[in-house]
Parts: sequence; structure tokens; C-alpha cells
Amino acid sequence: MKTLYTGLLTALTTSLLLVSAADAHHSFSMFNRETQIVVTGKVQRWDFNNPHSWLHMNVTNADGTETLWSFEGAAPPQLVGRGITGASFEPGDELTLMFCPLADGRNGGALGWVKVSAEKFLVPSDGGCRTDDATVTRWKGWLEQGFKTNKEAEGKSGA
Amino acid sequence: MRTTHASYVRKGICILALAAFPLLANAQQGAFGGGSGAPLVVTPPPRQFETSDAHYAFLLEQAKGGTQHTIESVPHWDGLWETAGNTHMNLFVEGGNFTGSVLPGVLTPAYETAYKERFRQQKEEGQVRYDRLTHCEPAGMPRWLLEPYSHEFINTPQQSYLINDFANAIRRVYIGQQHQNLYGTHSWMGDTIGFWDGNKLVMHTKYLLPADFTRWSPMTSNQFEAVETWELKQYPNNVERLEVQATFYDSFAFVKPVNAVYAFRHAVALTEAGHRPQHWECEQSSNSYLDENGMTNFRLPGEEGYKDPRGATLFPELPGQTRDPIYNTTLSTEAE
Repeated sequence: MKTLYTGLLTALTTSLLLVSAADAHHSFSMFNRETQIVVTGKVQRWDFNNPHSWLHMNVTNADGTETLWSFEGAAPPQLVGRGITGASFEPGDELTLMFCPLADGRNGGALGWVKVSAEKFLVPSDGGCRTDDATVTRWKGWLEQGFKTNKEAEGKSGA
Repeated sequence: MRTTHASYVRKGICILALAAFPLLANAQQGAFGGGSGAPLVVTPPPRQFETSDAHYAFLLEQAKGGTQHTIESVPHWDGLWETAGNTHMNLFVEGGNFTGSVLPGVLTPAYETAYKERFRQQKEEGQVRYDRLTHCEPAGMPRWLLEPYSHEFINTPQQSYLINDFANAIRRVYIGQQHQNLYGTHSWMGDTIGFWDGNKLVMHTKYLLPADFTRWSPMTSNQFEAVETWELKQYPNNVERLEVQATFYDSFAFVKPVNAVYAFRHAVALTEAGHRPQHWECEQSSNSYLDENGMTNFRLPGEEGYKDPRGATLFPELPGQTRDPIYNTTLSTEAE
């Protein structure tokens, strides 16, 4: 029985890997894909450009100063099919987003989801921060509980 | 208590497996753009040929010189397309997936050794050293077959244009003609000739630069050549799929020719969203680069060497020189 379950899990994992894998413009090994962090800030610019989109956002620090953070998203042809365009995020928009940070600690990361209203989440993610419907649903619950990182949420909820 | 927990785990696994079943049933085998429809099946050539030239000549003879289409009768593959599965990884890796091991005896010793190291890097480090596209090299052929983004295929009686909007990569197919190499060298897309066999487009490509199939795949040499047969196939539930049966020849890299099938499907979501591919280049808009260790990294705004894809041209003192004319933003990094 154990073998059967192991086999099913392996098949599931493999199938998800095969289906989701794509040959993007570059590797994503510079991102810490196991860590998800939520920040809020004001859009400075949404670069809806090929080969990858970038969202630049000013994030207010604890001391009131602002720091520019830059987050990479998927390519425009991938995003258009998800209902995301060059006008989805405009300068000055206040947004909350989830990202997977650069492993070297600089002010950047890979986009996961972007919360544009109480109920509306857009997913501009690429391979650097894999985000699906289940990720968004999980995070909606975590946000209600005030969590800002997946580590924190998983630690507290035992998920 | 332990029994109850185990029971939940079993139920969870079953639910996961059931949830995955439609995915498994609909997913094409192979990576780089899963699709839907009937499983892809490789159709190898009727016999093995020593060279791609001999292979192409055989197919041309079988087709009695090829079908002479008119602009009305030539197959129309209009619209936007996207990759829809392939058998690519089965060529080189046991089980055809990213978790297998390199198949022995497919590649020549030098290329097999190089590929084993390349595959190890990709599996263990998540990237290969020297990741070509990172610093804006073109995908080129054969990687063109696997790149995502959108595709367009335009057929005329004299020429076909196979377009991937990944850096505006166009393969030109000269129908009923002979190979030419006026430039006296090889190139990213090489030289492609072809003929129609009814509704099938048979193509022969040579004079390619050494490159790679993908990060997960082996390198290819400057002797890589391809014979492809493109055909639009219909499946139940209104599934249309362009299938490419390909035989790859490479006297430096392959022990013998290899066969794979690649597929494209209508890009429905892109089409419904009104997507129109735009010309783009990587040099001005990408800030990924290879560091001194051959690893991929980014330059961020404010860092030395950062290229602002929406910034001003070299003449900011002139009005109208920003590349962000709608929002007119400036990417300030003063707060850093």
C-alpha cells in the first residue's frame, strides 16, 4: 500500500513538474523560491516589457523612509492571457504583493501574486515564484490572520 | 491516534492523485509547454539515412517533386499559436523528464560527457553555467521549436514564414528551391528549403550555428541539420494541433539521427485578449547577465550597468525622448 501511495505521489509530482516547466528566458536560481514575503507599497512603474516584466514599487520602511524594490514577472505574452496588461498597475497605485526574494538579499525578487482589491488578485508570476490558485487561496486566509511570510504562517498554523 | 492520522494522509494522497488525474490525462508528455489532445506519437522516417540531404531527397522523390499549391490551396495556419507538448526530453533522458538520468549512447562521447555535467548543473543548481539567452543570444534553431511566447505561421506557395515572437525569430522556408549560403558561414536559423506533400510541409534546415536545445538539453554542433514534416491535425472536441515530426542529424553530437515530435495549438486565451506580438529586443530591455562564475543574475535599478527599458534615449534634453510616453515615469532610485 505504501508503495502505491509513494507511486501516486511520485506520479503527481512528476506530472506537475512536466506540465508547469517551460523554457523561460533565464534560470530562476537567483531567487529563494521557498520563501514568500508580502509587502505593501506604491507603484513607481510597471515595465510590461519583453523578455520579462518588472514591477518597481516604493516600500515604506519602519522608520518612514522609502526603498525602491523591483520584482520580476512573466513575459507579456504569458500575462496577456491571464488578463494582465500594461495598464494593470499604474504609477501611484497602492498595492500589496507577494514575492520570492533574491537569494543575495538585494531589494528585489520574483513576483507571486498582486492584490489589486479586496477580492481581486492578479498572478504575474513566472518560474521564480510559482503561484497558482491554491497559493492565492492559501494566502487569502493567511492575510486575514495578519501573516506576512509563508514561513511565519506555516509555523503558526502548522500547515 | 496514529491510525486516524494515517487515514487522513491516505485520503489526502488519494484526493491529490484524483485531482492530478485530469492533468495527467490531458497533459502531453514532455516539457516546455504542455498541451492537450491525443498523446503525441513519434513517426520515424521509413528507414535510417546517412545524411539529412539523403533523407530530404527521399521524401521529395516520394512526393514526386511535391505539390504545387496556389495561394488559395496552400494550407492556412492563421492566427496565434503556442507550444503544445513534445517528446523532446525522451531523446536524451531516461523517462523523458527532468528527474531521470542521461540516456547512454545517444550522444557521442564528448557531447555525452558535456551533457551529463550540464544536466547535473540544471538538476542540482537550477541553472547551467553559460545560459545563452541570459545575455541576449538568440534562441536560434533548434531551440526555436521549444521556446514559449507566441507563434505565427504564414504559408504562401513560394515561401513559408514560421515566426516566434521571442525576439522576433523568423524561420523562412523557401519552397521548391535549393540550399544557398551566400554569406559563407552558418547562422542562428540556418537555411531552410521545403516542399508541400499535399497538406504536409516538408522542410530541410542546415548551416546552423552551434547552440543548445534548452538549458535541460545537450549542446548541438555546427553540423546540426533537421528534416521536419509539419501537418495540421484534427482531433475530437475541435482540437486542432500542428504537429512537427522532426529528425535531427548532427555528426559531431549524435551517434545516429534522433526523432522527436513537437506540437503547437491555437493560443486561444491570447487571441481572445487581443494580443498582438510586438517587435522586441533583449539588449535594451533585459538586465539579466552572466556573472564571473557563469551564473545568471540581475542588475537592479541604481546599480552599475542597469539598463532602463523605459528610460530616455541618449538625448534626454530633447522633448519626446522617453520610452515611457504613456505614463512619463522616471525610475528614481534616490531612496536607495
